[in-house]
Amino acid sequence: MANVTSFYLSRVIGNKVYSEDKKVLGRLVDLIVDAKNIRPKVIAAKVKSGKNVQIVDFSFFIIYKEKGQYVIETRNLKPIDVQKEDTIMLVKHILDKQIVDMNGRKVVRVNDIRLAILSTGVYVIAVDIGLEGLLRRLGLAKPLKKVLKPLGKSIPSRLILWDDVEPLASPRSDLKLSTTYSKLSTLHPSDLADIIEELDKKTQAYVFSTLDEEKAADVLEELDVEAQRNVLESLPVEKAADLLEKMPADEVADILDEIKEERAEELLNEMEKEASEEVKELMEYPENTVGSIMTTDFIAFKTHFTVEQTIEELRRLKPEPDEIYYLYVVDNEERLCGVVSLRDLVISEPQTPLYEIMSRNVVYVKDMDNVNSLVSIISKYSLLAVPVVDDDKRLIGVVIINDIVYELLKVRKKLV
Amino acid sequence: MPQIAKGQRLKNILFILSIIGPGLVTATADNDASGIATYAMVGAMFGYKMLWGLFLITISLAVIQEMAARMGVVTGKGLSDLIREHFGVKMTFFAMITLLIANLTTTIGEFAGIAASLEIFGVSKYISVPLTAIFVWYIINKGSYKKTEKFFLALMVIYISYIISGFLAKPEWKEVFKNTFVPSFSFNSSFILIFIAMIGTTITPWMQFYLQSSVVDKGVDVKNLKYQRWDVFLGAFWTDFIAFFIVVATAATLHKHGIVIETAEDAAKALQPFAGKYASALFAVGLFGASLLGAHILPLSTAYAVTEAFGFENGLNKKMREAPVFYGLILLFIVIGAGVILLPNIPLIKLMIIAQEINGILLPIILIYMLKLTNDKEIMGEYVNSRTFNIIAWITVVFIIILTLILLVEPFLGV
Repeated sequence: MANVTSFYLSRVIGNKVYSEDKKVLGRLVDLIVDAKNIRPKVIAAKVKSGKNVQIVDFSFFIIYKEKGQYVIETRNLKPIDVQKEDTIMLVKHILDKQIVDMNGRKVVRVNDIRLAILSTGVYVIAVDIGLEGLLRRLGLAKPLKKVLKPLGKSIPSRLILWDDVEPLASPRSDLKLSTTYSKLSTLHPSDLADIIEELDKKTQAYVFSTLDEEKAADVLEELDVEAQRNVLESLPVEKAADLLEKMPADEVADILDEIKEERAEELLNEMEKEASEEVKELMEYPENTVGSIMTTDFIAFKTHFTVEQTIEELRRLKPEPDEIYYLYVVDNEERLCGVVSLRDLVISEPQTPLYEIMSRNVVYVKDMDNVNSLVSIISKYSLLAVPVVDDDKRLIGVVIINDIVYELLKVRKKLV
Repeated sequence: MPQIAKGQRLKNILFILSIIGPGLVTATADNDASGIATYAMVGAMFGYKMLWGLFLITISLAVIQEMAARMGVVTGKGLSDLIREHFGVKMTFFAMITLLIANLTTTIGEFAGIAASLEIFGVSKYISVPLTAIFVWYIINKGSYKKTEKFFLALMVIYISYIISGFLAKPEWKEVFKNTFVPSFSFNSSFILIFIAMIGTTITPWMQFYLQSSVVDKGVDVKNLKYQRWDVFLGAFWTDFIAFFIVVATAATLHKHGIVIETAEDAAKALQPFAGKYASALFAVGLFGASLLGAHILPLSTAYAVTEAFGFENGLNKKMREAPVFYGLILLFIVIGAGVILLPNIPLIKLMIIAQEINGILLPIILIYMLKLTNDKEIMGEYVNSRTFNIIAWITVVFIIILTLILLVEPFLGV
């Protein structure tokens, strides 16, 4: 008999459970851990004897090694009630399932689970996602290691600490964590989007529906077209519409262009009128026109505004960073007549009217111009954004350099 | 308001058409090189005698494909994902070995089809096979195989000519109908082998994986399951409708004149009543399309299934060094598939049929996994198999196993 300090789940699952006087009580089917704590402790075991499966208190269990084999012994099989919320069954919910590796920021499959035996109990410490775990499950790891050892080679093993793991519940599983996906929501939206893209469609929609609205809107923007479509088509209409309202109109127009027409209409009707009108206008522009990629979220000031008034107004609006590259100046008919930079504003006297400091030489494009013309204009004048006007020179939108980069990448992807 | 009703109906039809696809595409792809060779062999060797089998297989096919599609719709997961999640590593390993063997032999069959079809045009296999292998690798790597898929599928429409030929060859329709509904059986190994091959080419292991993934990709909602069902049933019917006429056409022409199929040109002769001297060329183009599509689908769908099951990186949007196992498997399949064909004196048609025999023998293993999964309430919820479906699927499984057993003991019995 040897004490063990840590072991792999696969080495004990399916083993016989003995009483203290070495009578077989059943077989170990699963271990149940308390997921509320940062260190998940094994609180119960699922034991099968004959046809009878019961969940019993794990505190009477000891695990030790004898002749190289793990022995599970228990003083008694005392049935215990476990709450579905905040407990995880290791075999049923984690082993062989997909989880999120928070450090690697991707979805991986669990080949094995590493547990540690401390004086206070048995704890889950890591999941094994490496080749070694796979081979161990097949019973091939040991013999292969023996063969490889003289050759100076080893089998790559990869463990992820439990702290860096987020289990994934699918809508149909009975895994119900009250702290669902708290770790996931700490990720950058574009990392989170990458992870969601890797999931199957049902889980995709499920994970998405647990995110708070702000985060969800940010993630939705970053998803690839296919995942966007799936999410928008599987979320309830009201929820999807709420998300879309939080996004820039041009992004929404792009997304709605990609999904089923019926569903797009449904969503537009559900959205607030102002927001949906804007989107509808954008959607009417043909592909490859400036209008189809411009954003209608921009800031414009009247010519007679003073520097002070303008800064005041900016403080009130708190615009997004990319809306503030350039501040456009329009006359009473909304016609574009100049541009002011933040620098100009900051260095000018508070009472100066904008028409005195604005640059009248504004480079602009028309809404029906071809997207390709944008690229040359932006690079020629080294701009971060270009204003878009209609035939009457009224300012109706802005194209930001990010959108152009995206557009260029899209074209390149198509060519590859 | 009749007009509104009409508009609604049009909308419904458009909607159904949007769901229809995976089943029909999979079914069309099912009539691949080995499929054509097998059906032609069935007709040439045994005339109309196996038509009843084809009739029953159609029912099994419809039921089994529906199971795969339903699993895809309800769980949103691929078949290998589900196998891994519910049976653990050992059982997954066993299932994947089965799939690898079945698919590798089928891939070899597809390259045999490429070689055979181009030999009709006088192109040596030592030129056609390496070139196609490179082409397949290139198309897969470029990620443009989805577009190419449609083109190859279009080439396979040529098999409709078998239907016309089947009529023009003036078969004895009375015999045809009798044999479609009245079973007859011979206990000799060539009959049993061809029968297994016929099952194996109609209901293949790879199709279940491929269909389920396609359904998942399409993202059909559970409430539209009934339309997905139509798609699958229509597909099953369509596959076997073509198969039926290949058997009838070859039976009425080749079998009647005692021609045994040894080369692709022999199989093409069944098209002569319809296409005359162009029969060979017509057949070659169709066979080429079918083989090329198969040579794309099989390596790719195997690589997806295996990497998904074991959690290796996969996907055509990843670079080769990011997903080495995925690309490695694809490459391995293409190299072995093409390599075997390049061995001198390989009998191409025979090889295609052997591939289907192996598929048939291995099919029950995959079917048992599918049956377990589709009967699991935790996975399928209220969409578990109905009794009728279970009965039909189990009969199929047991029937193939019995055939295989007969095949194994037959040499010792000396029948």
